[in-house]
Amino acid sequence: MKLLVPLKQVPDSTMRIKVAPDGKSIVTEGITWSISPYDEYAVEMALEQKDADPSTTVSVVTVGPVRAKDALRAALAMGCDDGTFVTSDENAAPLVVARALAKFVEQKQPDLVLCGRQASDDDQGFVGPALATILGWPHVATVTKFAPADGGIEIWREVEGGHEVWKASGPALVTVQKSDKEPRYASLPGIMKAKKKELPELALSSLGVDAAAPKIEVVKMETPPQRGGGKILKAADGDAASVAAELVRLLRDEAKVL
Amino acid sequence: MDFDLTPEQEQIRKLAKDFADREIAPGARERDREQRFPAEILAKMAPLGFLGGPVPEQYGGMGIDYISHALITEEVGRADSSVRTTLSVQISLVELTILKFGTPKQKQAWLPRLCRGEVIGCFGLTEPASGTDAAALQTTAIKDGDDWIINGRKMWISNGGVSQLALIFARTDAKAPKTKGITAFLLSREHQPYGSPPIHGKLGLRSSDTSELVFEDVRVPDSMRLGELGQGFAIAMAALDSGRYSVAAGAVGVAQACLDASVSYATQRQTFGKPIAAHQLVQEMLADMTVETEAARLLVWRAGAVKNKGLPSTRETSIAKLYAAEAAQRCADMAIQIHGGYGFSDEFPVERYWRDARVNRLYEGTTQIQKLIIGRAITGIDAVAG
Ligand SMILES: Cc1cc2nc3c(=O)[nH]c(=O)nc-3n(C[C@H](O)[C@H](O)[C@H](O)COP(=O)(O)OP(=O)(O)OC[C@H]3O[C@@H](n4cnc5c(N)ncnc54)[C@H](O)[C@@H]3O)c2cc1C
Repeated sequence: MKLLVPLKQVPDSTMRIKVAPDGKSIVTEGITWSISPYDEYAVEMALEQKDADPSTTVSVVTVGPVRAKDALRAALAMGCDDGTFVTSDENAAPLVVARALAKFVEQKQPDLVLCGRQASDDDQGFVGPALATILGWPHVATVTKFAPADGGIEIWREVEGGHEVWKASGPALVTVQKSDKEPRYASLPGIMKAKKKELPELALSSLGVDAAAPKIEVVKMETPPQRGGGKILKAADGDAASVAAELVRLLRDEAKVL
Repeated sequence: MDFDLTPEQEQIRKLAKDFADREIAPGARERDREQRFPAEILAKMAPLGFLGGPVPEQYGGMGIDYISHALITEEVGRADSSVRTTLSVQISLVELTILKFGTPKQKQAWLPRLCRGEVIGCFGLTEPASGTDAAALQTTAIKDGDDWIINGRKMWISNGGVSQLALIFARTDAKAPKTKGITAFLLSREHQPYGSPPIHGKLGLRSSDTSELVFEDVRVPDSMRLGELGQGFAIAMAALDSGRYSVAAGAVGVAQACLDASVSYATQRQTFGKPIAAHQLVQEMLADMTVETEAARLLVWRAGAVKNKGLPSTRETSIAKLYAAEAAQRCADMAIQIHGGYGFSDEFPVERYWRDARVNRLYEGTTQIQKLIIGRAITGIDAVAG
């Protein structure tokens, strides 16, 4: 089985994000970059299939600036077989990314494409479904498990209070949900092996994709408003019963949580 | 000159950091309180290759360079010095010594199992009556046919109680000069049973296993001798050379942990209407800690660069070990100061850092001995025995 995981490099989830002085981008200096968490779950899901059936190949691809190469290396160190780097500007438009990936999928011809359900930086959840649409492939969202089945692939997806089982007869695209299978650590042997692997680079133009196509411009970025200080009701404000009543009133009328 | 890490070194550092933050640090306080050996953590570290370090792949190791080795050791040391101590003994004192002095058969027999963590090793040099003066050791090995009969006692042995393999040093020639009559042996616990009464009540490193080793007529075949007859003291000194590098890297980790904890606390804790980090005397401590930590790290990396070239590194390693051990202690002390009363309680980790840092100034050659090694290197005069 041939699996392909397109992944995105994003600021590590432990980073504190600051808005840059231009008011429409983030400060990237001093940021540690990682594979987007849902993409990491997708890698883990693919690698589990490889653990179960060693004839499985797991490829990774990313569209991004030079730094994004590290995300591919990290995926190879986890155990993926090969990685391809499609070079683009710092903020390639999601549709451009999906178009580039579509060209790559056509070359690579995987049986299943596993995307994270959304990237943790812009949270748009756009690229996976867009890629499936461009390819004309079926798409199943928020998937927690898959397995090869007679003449196709069985796919489990989460729904409220349970899960559904879908079956794809031909190639398909899934977007992966967090599952209890935590992404594995890279290992030292994995890192040493990854070091020896080539990372082929493709330019957007060599894939026949126009980098300028529909562009999204962020007009403004704002951090959430500062949280106000807490309110403390003191015993001196009345007896226990009246303090409790006041608390209920505040929770209902001011905080609107009751 | 270039202080940048290679992409692989960055990756190794990130792996070690993630692992240390997620798997090692969270349980450190409980293990310290309960004086419990971190067996479950070692079991998770082994498959990632953390116990194989610079041992070549052919013997089951990872063949990583010495800077990478230091990066891993620092990250582990940042989370928990007890876990780091096990690592230092396993890799630097036991594996690298067998690699350097073992026969091909000994290397094949032990290195892959040590690297996989199936066998935990210990290093028995110190005795109740001899520490710094290691060559005065009294454990004896007497030849009996093709075997040796070992009698004696070792003291303060890290990993002793959990070990299945002991690299120990015994006197094989009572008439030879002190340093010439010592030979190294490997004892496989299964076939050469030795006792290991535990040592409790330590100030720090409380979740590291520390024990005595007791040899009562332990019969060892000559095939378990490591190196030549009479070469034991030289082997011990070579082992300590690599062990000190590991201790130094671990101490940098402690210093970094103290700094991280202090920056986080000092920017949140308020007095006189502002974060305490805004008081110049507090900020001075943070700046001092930063300088101490970075200076120690650079000394470790320099020693690592010398080791990567395969050159003698005794002097560079002693400088790094001395400085890093003392720097970690000073940083831990400042970290407690910055935390005020809270630093005195195990609600925060800095009191553990302070207790754990203390041993770095003692084991694998005390601070005094590092100074004498450095002094010997610059004057040519050996003042240790003087
Ligand atoms: C937690 C822990 C774990 C340990 N793990 C191991 C282990 O795994 N394997 C092992 O073999 N050992 C181990 N040790 C032992 C450690 O290496 C020794 O404690 C250390 O070498 C000091 O020896 P000592 O305790 O006998 O002190 P001593 O040698 O008695 O020294 C006492 C003091 O005198 C000073 N001193 C001694 N001689 C001189 C001199 N010539 N010039 C100047 N000052 C001098 C010392 O610096 C020290 O301050 C461990 C110790 C501890 C505490």
